Amino acid sequence: MTDQHEVGPGSDVSGPTSWSIHLNDVSVTYPNGTTALRNVSLDIPAGEMVSIVGLSGSGKSTLIRVMNGLVPVTTGTVAVGPHEVTHLRGRQLRQLRGHIGMIFQGFNLAERTSVFRNVMVGRFADTPTYRTLLGVSSERDRDLVFAGLDSVGMLDKVWTRASDLSGGQKQRVAIARALAQGPSVMLADEPVASLDPPTAHSVMNDLRHINGERGLTVLVNLHLIDLAQQYTTRMIGLRAGEIVFDGPAAEATESNFEHIYGRPIKSNDKLAN
Amino acid sequence: MTVDEKAAPLGVSIPAPPSRLGQTAAAVVVGAVLLASAADLDIDWGEVWSIPGQIQRYGRLMFTDPDWERLPRALFETWRSISMAWLGAILCVVLSIPLGMLAAHGVGPTWLRLTLRAVFAVIRAVPEVIIALLLLTVTGFTPFTGMLALGIAGIGTQAKWVYEAVESIDDGAPEAVVAAGGAIAELARWALWPAVAPALTSFALYRFEINIRTSAVLGLIGAGGIGSMLTNYTNFRQWNTVGMLLVVVITATMIIDATSGRIRRRIMEGAKQ
Amino acid sequence: MTDTAPTVWELPPKPTNRARIALIIGAIATFTTLTCLPAIGGVELDFASLVDNWRNGARLGREFIQPDLSFLPRTYRPMLETLQMAVVGAGVAAVLSVPLTLWAARQTNPRLATRQPVRFTINVVRAVPDLVYATVLVAVIGVGPLPGLITLILFDIGIVVKLVSEAIDAGEHPYMEAGMAAGGTQVQVNRGVVLAQSWPFFTNQWLYVLELNVRISAILGVVGAGGIGRLISERRAFFAYDDVGAIVFEILVVVIVIELFSNLVRRRLT
Repeated sequence: MTDQHEVGPGSDVSGPTSWSIHLNDVSVTYPNGTTALRNVSLDIPAGEMVSIVGLSGSGKSTLIRVMNGLVPVTTGTVAVGPHEVTHLRGRQLRQLRGHIGMIFQGFNLAERTSVFRNVMVGRFADTPTYRTLLGVSSERDRDLVFAGLDSVGMLDKVWTRASDLSGGQKQRVAIARALAQGPSVMLADEPVASLDPPTAHSVMNDLRHINGERGLTVLVNLHLIDLAQQYTTRMIGLRAGEIVFDGPAAEATESNFEHIYGRPIKSNDKLAN
Repeated sequence: MTVDEKAAPLGVSIPAPPSRLGQTAAAVVVGAVLLASAADLDIDWGEVWSIPGQIQRYGRLMFTDPDWERLPRALFETWRSISMAWLGAILCVVLSIPLGMLAAHGVGPTWLRLTLRAVFAVIRAVPEVIIALLLLTVTGFTPFTGMLALGIAGIGTQAKWVYEAVESIDDGAPEAVVAAGGAIAELARWALWPAVAPALTSFALYRFEINIRTSAVLGLIGAGGIGSMLTNYTNFRQWNTVGMLLVVVITATMIIDATSGRIRRRIMEGAKQ
Repeated sequence: MTDTAPTVWELPPKPTNRARIALIIGAIATFTTLTCLPAIGGVELDFASLVDNWRNGARLGREFIQPDLSFLPRTYRPMLETLQMAVVGAGVAAVLSVPLTLWAARQTNPRLATRQPVRFTINVVRAVPDLVYATVLVAVIGVGPLPGLITLILFDIGIVVKLVSEAIDAGEHPYMEAGMAAGGTQVQVNRGVVLAQSWPFFTNQWLYVLELNVRISAILGVVGAGGIGRLISERRAFFAYDDVGAIVFEILVVVIVIELFSNLVRRRLT
């Protein structure tokens, strides 16, 4: 509990730089023996908007989680920006995670507490633990929380209980939480799978704006092929833990998708059917 | 509501935090009651700091050289406590299952249900020790008294669990029996019993676990068992014997808790399948 | 796919659990028999004494249910002490239970090496019955409310930590992954979100131990640990069962009032 407030690159949130991501021959085998990723190598330049497409169980979630070290790799190396994720432990790993925003399919908000406290979670990496323990936040942290909420249009809900929000609003709060980190990379794990079509489009729009205006590298896991084509520039197809497609999203054909999914395309593989 | 439609500059449009007056007032009241109570208690708070030292001193007296010579006697008395607890649990369960079922909604008539529930509430409010003190005049300072006290004192809670379990079962099965022209006894046997049997068995074991602790308490007022032995040697200030007895009590209780807990889990898991 | 309707039902083999049931019944019967053998410490089922002495109990019961309410004014001061012990005990236990609970739950403390010692200690603390604590502490510290208060605190911590840490472990906490992904320490995540999320579990158990405390502290005085229990054992020693009846009646009223109060608070909180 002696974490110090480090004024390093982590606190340089005013003008976030965008980071590139490099995976070199990454494999992940879980303790129960399941192999989720097999020899994946990947180069994502800074500022790109990439979708990762595949069936559930194809390794999409694992792929995105090796990038911030939530899932440790079994073999291979992962580099995000100037950091070698696989070598980081403890505080250094937390500092790195502070630079990587992440949003989830289930929003992952603490429902019983306010939007404000949920977004404050995004400031953890730059907050000394004793401050969190005492429950006092700095002026600057509060400003970043308000700014994050403001940029997704949720500032008026800042004191609302998270459980009182709609699904789309919850995902916006989750995006604000990630933005409050002042991230250099944004990861999104099936961000619209729990949302209805109009809300799904507006959340995807928010992500596109984050990519466009802030120039952040954005990685989105999707299982809906039309969303991938509409919102992202590059698409990576994953099947049984291996990359089976990597190219411009717009140019992917029906047969490319059938190859990724290993079966004919069905109507529920698309949002607008 | 996308990122383009930037709200007014920060600091202008941040909603005022909600009033926390109610919460603060409640916290102040709770704190004041606590402090006033603590201040009014006949305790020399300056003395509190010497307690850890005291406990260490007596702990050393008790546990550096426990009196293992009296272990056979202690085990004999432990078995006496276990016996009280077991027979008390049987008595309690045998009485509370029919009474509890009669007190459930939709089984017995309303006047009976309300009367029984009032009786249960009164029994719950009377400490076991008081019931034991009354029984002493009939059955004397014997383990039999302890067993009766445990059996009667437990009814309040046990019967409440029974009627709550009965009321939580699905209405389908009882309706089917009633539709087939069943009487109350048949209803209980063919519809209620199968549905609640696993829960009731689990509750019965739980009653045994509770009784193990309470039986030691009853020993303190002369019902025999390990509690009586513990009081005697504490009064004699034979600390090394007290230490041995504490070890026996803790070990026996933890073993019984673990065993009974495992059986309960198996019963409940078996019921789910 | 056969063409004729089967006349003999092809039932799957009926599970033969008759042997198992016999075994279970046998084990229960044996255990029960052993608990009835006075020679090895079992209980002597002395039903004869019930027949012989029931008049004693009946007479006493009559006195008991005709409580001498004029005795009540003398009980107010000890009863207040009982309530004060209950409140302070629950308050101190509430404060201490928060870090201990987060320490003892798997989800809020994934490190076995630090979790296991806390859990073990809590189990040991729970294995000692309340009046046993009180008896030993009275002998160590001396007569008065302090040993009673310590008893209540230990007892309450055991209950709250065990029940709330189990409740936390039984639930799903997706927001914890978000906290870790944002670079928070486990302590930050626990304090920043888990605590807010688990608050209802805590308040529920705190109110529950407050109710229990009133009930327990009413009898702690029997062994000299303060409160109204002292008066109970005193009046009983004088065979003044009508006074004991009055005290028990008073305890009953107080316990029911506390239960109503805590139900009210529970409803406000949820």
